Amino acid sequence: MGSANMKIGTSAALQAQAAKRSVSPARGPGEASRLSGRQRRQLAGWLFLTPAILYILFAFGLPIIYNVMLSFEQTSPATIADLTAPFAGLANYRFVLDDPTSRAAIVHTFEFTAGSLFGQFIIGFALALLFTLRFPGRTVARSLIIVPWLLPLIVTGIIFKFLFQLEGGAVNQLLMDVGLAHQPIDWLDDPHLGLLTILIANIWLGVPFFTLLLYSALQDVPVEVKEAALMDGAGPWQRLRLVIVPIILPVIEVTLLLGFVFTVKVFDLVIALTGGGPANATQLITTWSYNLSFQEFSFGEGAALNNVLLVLAMICAPLYLLLSRGSLRRSSGAGK
Amino acid sequence: MTRLQRSRALRWLCTLAAAAALIVVLFPVYAVIVGSFESTETLFSGTYYWLPHAPTLDNFRTVIQAQSANVLTSLIVGVGTAVLALVVAVPAAYALAKYRLRVTVVMVSALLVAQIVPSIVLATSLFIIFHWIHLVNTYPGLIIADGTYAIPFAILVLRAFLFSLPDEVMQAARVDGASEWQTFLRIVMPLARSAVITVAVFAFLNGWGDFIFALTILNGATIVPITLGIYTYLGNFSTDWGAVMASAAFAMVPAAVMLAVAQRYIASGLTAGSVVG
Repeated sequence: MGSANMKIGTSAALQAQAAKRSVSPARGPGEASRLSGRQRRQLAGWLFLTPAILYILFAFGLPIIYNVMLSFEQTSPATIADLTAPFAGLANYRFVLDDPTSRAAIVHTFEFTAGSLFGQFIIGFALALLFTLRFPGRTVARSLIIVPWLLPLIVTGIIFKFLFQLEGGAVNQLLMDVGLAHQPIDWLDDPHLGLLTILIANIWLGVPFFTLLLYSALQDVPVEVKEAALMDGAGPWQRLRLVIVPIILPVIEVTLLLGFVFTVKVFDLVIALTGGGPANATQLITTWSYNLSFQEFSFGEGAALNNVLLVLAMICAPLYLLLSRGSLRRSSGAGK
Repeated sequence: MTRLQRSRALRWLCTLAAAAALIVVLFPVYAVIVGSFESTETLFSGTYYWLPHAPTLDNFRTVIQAQSANVLTSLIVGVGTAVLALVVAVPAAYALAKYRLRVTVVMVSALLVAQIVPSIVLATSLFIIFHWIHLVNTYPGLIIADGTYAIPFAILVLRAFLFSLPDEVMQAARVDGASEWQTFLRIVMPLARSAVITVAVFAFLNGWGDFIFALTILNGATIVPITLGIYTYLGNFSTDWGAVMASAAFAMVPAAVMLAVAQRYIASGLTAGSVVG
């Protein structure tokens, strides 16, 4: 790209303008013909963008603003039919911060997110490294590894509920068959194990994403770099730590960031597996917020908890924009 | 052992490791397929059978009767989400990639941030807003909500793709007297076909697999997608696992079809969605 393109671009634009100028008098003093080529292009661009702007405002902007309003309102089942309810001040936020289940849900969300990212990254990276090696069947393995990602999340949750059943579940059957457990483990109904169970399911769900992204980053590491490190006598671990990881660090950052965003949002999986139980032991912010709004019809309290979640998720927004600055900069028109 | 033998052994060791990983990854899918053919007695026997044990079609008979309408509903929602995503995203991506608009940076930032917003935050508000404008329990309401998964992703992926189209293509069309709209429709769209298919496939899967908006925006009586249909099978005390497994098998069909038919679009879409960020 660069100057050659620009030259072609300008001359073409000039030609187009000239062509239009010669046509416009014949068309008469119509509105469109009075616009210059540049203006007309600007107008077209805005028109192309209009549906998306309207959609974003309606489906994201409006609900987010309305959610903030709701969080300051004293809602009740009777107020659902109305768009607004009496002002409640900070009562909903005070409730959320005092309510033991809400506080536990916030703690669970942190534990669940940290555990998921750790497990997904370690396993995903190991598989990505495995796929960079040449071995029989690696193409098939690579294309099948994305399967978990294509299934509806609720289906995944339900399958895991089936596999983790106390009696007749495949996990317990396996553990007892190989002698790792003497009696079935109550994965779903033991309050001490529930969080671990949803963690395992979510790690299973997220590994393909980590594998795929880290694998494509590893593919982009220049062969010369790897060979040079080998010549210098670096062992496999040193090559990984000192050469490969620094090169793919930007992708690792983006992957962890997106993994964080996905995990903070997890809802379907938990609703299907445990429904937040037993005794709220697996209640996350998302599931408890659903419970407050749609089971107890305390939309104000649900909205307050939603805002806690939104702030938590948005912590990484500046970082995400920073990591995406390449894509943003291209949009300033420098690419033309 | 010679060097050659050792490296060959090492390769097969890698194959073994990959196979082990694949077994873990694919086992749940296998379990659904096997489970959907098992009888209620087998499923409630308290023993897990690794291989099919007394297969039967009973579950499918139950489920075809109970879930056919729901599968159709999910198809409508999936196609609707794909159509909405394309109508909104393709022109927008074109504008953001090829027109120098003052709003571009703001819009792209907004789309990146929109991907972060948790669905439950939107669902709570949309439920009341939709209640107010009578979109609760309607297809348009659900499709608009499901678009929140698909549309930001679709615009960003398509935009990244459209950068790669040389500007000369559009200049040439303009010189030939094509209007901006004609250029977009006749020149740009056909060239962007593969990227358009990718985002359509993903938007369909988003609509098909959505659960949270179906749970909140629908009342569960008149419009019931398959995801909601399966969920209602999960009783508190006794779950009809045979029916659940057979419905889950149905719910997995689009993913299987997409993987078989549109594999290259899926792989490129999965990576593009993140590299774009």
